[in-house]
Amino acid sequence: MDVKIQTEPFDARFPNVNQTKRCWQNYYDYSKCVAAKGEEFAPCRRFMKAYMTLCPNEWIEKWDVQKDEAVAKMRFHFETATTSKAGPRKGMIMINRGVQGKLQVDTPSFLKYTRHGMQPHLVPEVATGINTLPPITRIQIEDFLDERDLEKRSFKSLREFARLGEDMVVLDTLDPTIIARTARSAEKHMGIDSEGGVRRLVPTAFAQAVNQLDPDVVVAPADFVHDAQPSLTQGKRISKSVARSIRWLDDMLAGVAHAAVLAPVMGSLSPELRAASVQALSTRSNIAGYVFSDVALAPSDRLWALQQSLPQLDATKLRCMAGASAPDMALRAVLNGVDLVDSSYAYAVTEQGWASAYTLKGADMPAHVDLWAKSMADDFGPLVAGCTCTTCSTHSRAYVHHLLNAHEMLATVLLQAHNLYWYQHFFVQIRQSLSCGSLAEDAAAFFEHYGPSAFEELDRVAEQTCSPTTKVQHQRHA
Amino acid sequence: MTKTDEFAHLDTPLESSVSPALKFEVLAKCSTTKARASRMHLPHYTAHTPMFMPVGTMGTIKGITPGQLETLDCHVILGNTYHLGSQPGPELLEKAGGLHKFMAWDRGLLTDSGGFQMVSLLKLANITEEGVEFENPHNGKMMMLTPEMSIGLQNSIGADIMMQLDDVVSSLTTGPRVEEAMWRSLRWLDRGIKAHKRPSEQNLFPIVQGGLDERLRTISAQELIKRESPGYAIGGLSGGEAKGSFWRMVNLSTDILPTNKPRYCMGVGYAEDLVVCSALGVDMYDCVFPTRTARFGNALVRTGSLALRQGKYRDDFTPIDSECDCSTCKQFTRAYLYTSVTKETTNCHLITVHNIAFQMRLMRDIRTAIVEDRYPQFIRSFMKTRFGKTVPRWIVDALQSVNVDLTVPDETGYFASAIDSDFQKEPNV
Repeated sequence: MDVKIQTEPFDARFPNVNQTKRCWQNYYDYSKCVAAKGEEFAPCRRFMKAYMTLCPNEWIEKWDVQKDEAVAKMRFHFETATTSKAGPRKGMIMINRGVQGKLQVDTPSFLKYTRHGMQPHLVPEVATGINTLPPITRIQIEDFLDERDLEKRSFKSLREFARLGEDMVVLDTLDPTIIARTARSAEKHMGIDSEGGVRRLVPTAFAQAVNQLDPDVVVAPADFVHDAQPSLTQGKRISKSVARSIRWLDDMLAGVAHAAVLAPVMGSLSPELRAASVQALSTRSNIAGYVFSDVALAPSDRLWALQQSLPQLDATKLRCMAGASAPDMALRAVLNGVDLVDSSYAYAVTEQGWASAYTLKGADMPAHVDLWAKSMADDFGPLVAGCTCTTCSTHSRAYVHHLLNAHEMLATVLLQAHNLYWYQHFFVQIRQSLSCGSLAEDAAAFFEHYGPSAFEELDRVAEQTCSPTTKVQHQRHA
Repeated sequence: MTKTDEFAHLDTPLESSVSPALKFEVLAKCSTTKARASRMHLPHYTAHTPMFMPVGTMGTIKGITPGQLETLDCHVILGNTYHLGSQPGPELLEKAGGLHKFMAWDRGLLTDSGGFQMVSLLKLANITEEGVEFENPHNGKMMMLTPEMSIGLQNSIGADIMMQLDDVVSSLTTGPRVEEAMWRSLRWLDRGIKAHKRPSEQNLFPIVQGGLDERLRTISAQELIKRESPGYAIGGLSGGEAKGSFWRMVNLSTDILPTNKPRYCMGVGYAEDLVVCSALGVDMYDCVFPTRTARFGNALVRTGSLALRQGKYRDDFTPIDSECDCSTCKQFTRAYLYTSVTKETTNCHLITVHNIAFQMRLMRDIRTAIVEDRYPQFIRSFMKTRFGKTVPRWIVDALQSVNVDLTVPDETGYFASAIDSDFQKEPNV
């Protein structure tokens, strides 16, 4: 912004020859003015002109840096009363965007899984019918990689571009439901498969993009080894992945201005390398939290990795887990002290043509209702008896069964509305149980009730990428 | 969306007709064209015409909930008898208490006869006096659809309006086959009327046939009037015939059909067709076009349609239509829709919502213009936006027949010249 420098006229508030106080007052007034009215608001420029004239340049630069840091620190805040290193805990995330508003999220909770920033199958007016969805949206940058220079397009933020309202936006790199990946990473970039071929995500450039996209939280890129059996992978490869991920994290911490940075905990199935990753993270105090993203591993290995590293991490920081969306996994993650998972399981249930029916205390019915089943054809009851979601209060099993058979898109709309409602309800039960101090007991009953395999079939979402409206699926069910 | 009754101030019908399951009241007539605005009392809903009815083939408008359709101000939607008859089938629909209950839609429903799908979907259809014989695609056996069966199926579905089974021939067919089909359709109508079991709950609309032959259309329409049906449809058009023939057949039919009963032009849904046919006195329309084109990423606007997958929308931070009040336009920009168009089902639902809202708003504007007796002005301003200085000849001709001459400048100075093309390929932007 060009400001014509000329001597400021006398200000009766500051009669002394020493104008230090006047310089500060104008700097402060400018910040307040911009925060209230925006940079475009012309009267603010009066204060700017004054402080540019009155203040030494090095003071201004120093204050600007301090202000940025303060804003970044203020914007994301996580609080938990629990001091123990592991075990279930309640917490609270606070987002403060200054004049743009504040937000508070109780944990344990989940990130709303999206595709291209949209709820799968649900337009906003249908999604808002599901009350009490947590106001946190997860977006993966890989959905937008075919859009060259997304960040250079003239929108204020990803949140505004995707019309996410006041939601806290968590920008991650990868879609947690895609497990089979072929792209390889190299020293200086993360390789990501996309429709247009392999894209390179360079952490320093990504950090710059993040500053434009302006999410509240960003997960640092990491060198994931997409190998289902890492025991067969050379230890050297995992060791390289730990080292690279830390380097990339540093690039992010140096480059990201406002967003809180979450760091992936790496090391795969090697106890030594996991310890090395945790050790490196412990010296980086400006990270806001941790992410466990071992989606390529078997569920039991994912939990092992979590249990291995979580107790060694700074307990005051936020813990997220990808690949722990299924109710049994989510519950185990929470029991271990994870604060956030994601809602991709609800989508997986929908794609299967099922309706969720699991509850924390265990219901008198199986965990899911298969709407493809022939017995649904003339069942005019709700998808799940007693459910108060918009689908169940309006539509019948018979109708959804018909829609599935007819390959109609409304089938997945109605199922997703139910399944997402059910998923948030499951987390309400978890938080209630945690408040009552009965979570360990309830969880034990849950595992006992549903057995070890109730949620297994849908754990690997990516293996059934076709939607129920496609022909392949139809033939399978025919 | 207008939730208020736009006809509230119009108490005295200019013309009306009363049938056991339908009351039709013409509330306003255009003083220049044949356009009229009416209230149609159906067993499930009181619809306002001229109206567009979105097509919900399988008992659902693709991806849109009944609640959304109400918000979009849809009055009547369509179901297809052929599809619903094979899935979920008449027994189940009866068990459910009809399609209204099955799909949780408590406004108007209209079902076709199933005959059109016999011809459009099935290559091996064999039409005899008894009915349409065809190969069942589900089990490969030969099946027969008779007028009685069609009405039986439609009685099970329970729509407010049913259509007679007609002997559909392509609108491009000429010669004695057209006349044969016209007379056979009449005989099938009489069999259908006899088979109709719920005349006090459902209306049976006959269909004017006769291809592109004025003599046959005239006979057909005159014969139908004798049956004193609650309303009439104009069929056998929109099958690829020249637009010049299309409008003449519509115009001829509305000239003959009684003015105190609803007229339904089947398979019409392009914005300019709706504006022209309303001027010719048509009250009801249906078409898959607005919802189908949405799934290919095309959003309708008054100038034509926007193919949102084109790179030019990448940095376009305006809504699809800044004058549209649909939930999509109120929130999303073209640039954002561009990022996932044809990739995400949610995106496709967003465009579907807009396109239905577009059709509904167009019809609302048409109704308001008729009520305020400024329909000719509305037509001119619509054509100016849609086509600019060159308007397809069939539109100029059709409008001239109802005393609107686009080639003569109006008070705003707008006039157009006719071009010999049925469609304008590029939208007028």
